[in-house]
Amino acid sequence: MKKLKITNEIRLGMVLVGLMAVLSIISPRFLSLSNLSNVIWSICIIGILASGAIYPRITGGIDLSLGSMAALTGIIVDMFMNKMGIHWIPAILLTMVIGGLIGLFNGFIVAKIKVPAFVVTMAAKTYLYGVALVVSEGAMLAIMKPAPFISIGSDKLLGLPIPIYLMLTLVVISQFVLKRTSFGRQVMAVGSNEVAAKLSGVDPDRVRLVAYTISGITSAIGGVVLASLTRQTFAAAASGIELDVMTALVIGGTSAVGGRGSVVGALLGAIMVAFIVNGLNLLNIPAPFHPIVTGTVIILALLLNEGYLVPKKLAGGMKNQKQAAA
Amino acid sequence: MITQTNANDVLLVCRQIVKSYNGPLVLDKVDFSVKRGEVHALVGENGAGKSTIIKVITGATNRNSGDMMFDGQVIPLNHSRNKAQDLGIGVIFQELSLIPGMTVAQNIFLTKEPFFPGTRFINHRLMNRNAQELIDRYQFPLKATDVIDKLSIAQRQLVEILKAMSMNAKLMIMDEPTSSLTKTEVAMLFEIIRKLKSDGISVLYISHRMEEIYALADRVTVLRDGKLVAVLDKEQISPAEIIRLMIGHKLEENALAHKLEPKDGEVVLEVKDLTSVGKFEKVSFKLHKGEILGLGGLVGSGRTEVVRAIYGIDPIDEGSITYLGKPYKPSVLRSIKSGIGFIPEERRLQGILATLSITHNVGITNLDRLAPKFVLNLKKEGEFSREGIKLVNVKPPVPEQLVGNLSGGNQQKVVLAKWLIRNLKLVIIDEPTVGIDIGAKDEIYTHIKNLASQGVSILLVSSDLPELTRLSDRIIVLRKGKVFTEFKDCVVTSEKILRAASGILEEA
Repeated sequence: MKKLKITNEIRLGMVLVGLMAVLSIISPRFLSLSNLSNVIWSICIIGILASGAIYPRITGGIDLSLGSMAALTGIIVDMFMNKMGIHWIPAILLTMVIGGLIGLFNGFIVAKIKVPAFVVTMAAKTYLYGVALVVSEGAMLAIMKPAPFISIGSDKLLGLPIPIYLMLTLVVISQFVLKRTSFGRQVMAVGSNEVAAKLSGVDPDRVRLVAYTISGITSAIGGVVLASLTRQTFAAAASGIELDVMTALVIGGTSAVGGRGSVVGALLGAIMVAFIVNGLNLLNIPAPFHPIVTGTVIILALLLNEGYLVPKKLAGGMKNQKQAAA
Repeated sequence: MITQTNANDVLLVCRQIVKSYNGPLVLDKVDFSVKRGEVHALVGENGAGKSTIIKVITGATNRNSGDMMFDGQVIPLNHSRNKAQDLGIGVIFQELSLIPGMTVAQNIFLTKEPFFPGTRFINHRLMNRNAQELIDRYQFPLKATDVIDKLSIAQRQLVEILKAMSMNAKLMIMDEPTSSLTKTEVAMLFEIIRKLKSDGISVLYISHRMEEIYALADRVTVLRDGKLVAVLDKEQISPAEIIRLMIGHKLEENALAHKLEPKDGEVVLEVKDLTSVGKFEKVSFKLHKGEILGLGGLVGSGRTEVVRAIYGIDPIDEGSITYLGKPYKPSVLRSIKSGIGFIPEERRLQGILATLSITHNVGITNLDRLAPKFVLNLKKEGEFSREGIKLVNVKPPVPEQLVGNLSGGNQQKVVLAKWLIRNLKLVIIDEPTVGIDIGAKDEIYTHIKNLASQGVSILLVSSDLPELTRLSDRIIVLRKGKVFTEFKDCVVTSEKILRAASGILEEA
């Protein structure tokens, strides 16, 4: 009989189910479709951004410019549609291209000029925020039209908001690319051992360029969905979201030094944080206490991912991953 | 030997030192001594026990039994790095242990900074002055306020020396100190060693380079297979004699002397006047179908650099390569596509993807076959992985196993496997068995031999001389970046190779 391999995702799923059981006991409202759909809806931007941000992360880098990029692309798509009168479909596609180009630029500095990704994307976070301020003239702009654009964020399909479908689609595509394509393998290889990857025929610079470009494109998609969903744009619209994305990645088992990770894991991680916040709300615990709990959860998740706090049976050689990486 | 010398002349005495890392003896009752104010060279082949005895002396590891005395004090069995430092034993390792962002003075006085009286605040001015005095005493080309980052390797070595001197070192151990120095830097280091010596400080010098030993050493201790072979005095030192002692006669006795029988089939690879400035110069050779061509030479002789250039990792300045009858311009991707495999010298740093599974490791060199159209054929990848595991007998034979968790020998087998499942015409293998146990070594030798008998040409680089002579059909010895000599159609021994690598030409 083939033994079921305990993967990170399955472990996270089990924790999630346990969490749901506890929360449903605490509050009967928790398991209602409207509550669950609301919780998942609340993290759909995080999920969209994470599906691209995971690529730089697995190569051993990071993209901290996500938030500024999402805000800027939201402003840009509004400008295209409502100032320049471009049809909403080409406007969105054009915005995605711009996001990709910004990502490519980040990737170029990281891969070719060899500046640490942390520095490059932190700088990008700042200057892109500046560009967003300039383009929006520092104002908060309401978006009222076109109707099809607004409906992306507000319409429902089979009882669930459309952004959830968008997020799930992106997560599935991204997971497929990561696990089932040659590019995904190359990303993992570069993060695991760049020199060995290079000697095996992988071009690490090209892989990095593409990784940051993907992150730029998903940031633009996130920015568009966010603009449609909130019906407004401003330079600080998504400020700080990069930290939520990194949290989701960490909880989801994406290594902080590169070489392994999972988009599905990241989604589960984001959902877990959202459930915890939801549970705290249902328990009427004041909002200032929430970050204390979520911060603690990140630490616990990290320990869990490194193989601590896990019964041997479930660990499945996990503890050795750290030794393997050393 | 020891008993005959006056006890006051001797700084370090080791008697009947035994050391084993759970298993075979690495040091087998070794006697060893260093006199005051002498330069003492320690030589031996790889695995002779040189580094182990250094570790025992510096407290990096503990001996199992035997007596040690340093400067009249008995060193107990539970020795340690700190105690060695306190006694006055300084070491300069190949990998330097300085903190890059700090100044020379800060590094020298790290953890023993001078304070303002009655406080715990560092007196930087005093520290810099003390460091500068130390520098001036030896007339080193340094300033106390230089930041380590900005210094050359040679200058960093000087800082290491000063650091040891500031702790009143009586014995300075130098492990291959010249391996990354230029000629003028070597000359400067030699001057400094002589100055240390005239100050009454003993230097224990480890090197593979006979000319350095000849130039510097007052005495030489030769180790072989963990045993003391000989202690030579200044007038007895000659490169040929040292090599003879290092190798011994065991090889001839074991019939390991290898008859080279060159293959003269079709030429697969031809290299002509290959030059990379500062690395190698006008290297030419031919490699035939199914032939194992060994590249011998000391570390730094340009062997690795030549094969890296052929595979396409490093650029070539001049010369030409012909591969399968056509001019070849190397690049890693082109090499892989045209049937060249490359097994690098440092398994952990260059060979394996430690955080990934055996399957992913095997897959990474085969993406062209697994994903011709972007999407991976996972079933095929699994088949490749199982095929590779079976081919080289990886243990445990579990495709999902993370490669970082395998033993060194099995990691190396995975690196072999990822190439062997391809249709190769040429494999470049650099140091195939470093740090691998004997059983796995033999298996890897069998795979290399099998490959050659299947018609694959092999370019083999190895510092392990018995390995080189045993596997090769023909051997080229490089020295200082040039082809020094070639062995073919003759009986070759480790001794002959080492003599050639040290610049001694055989009389015809």
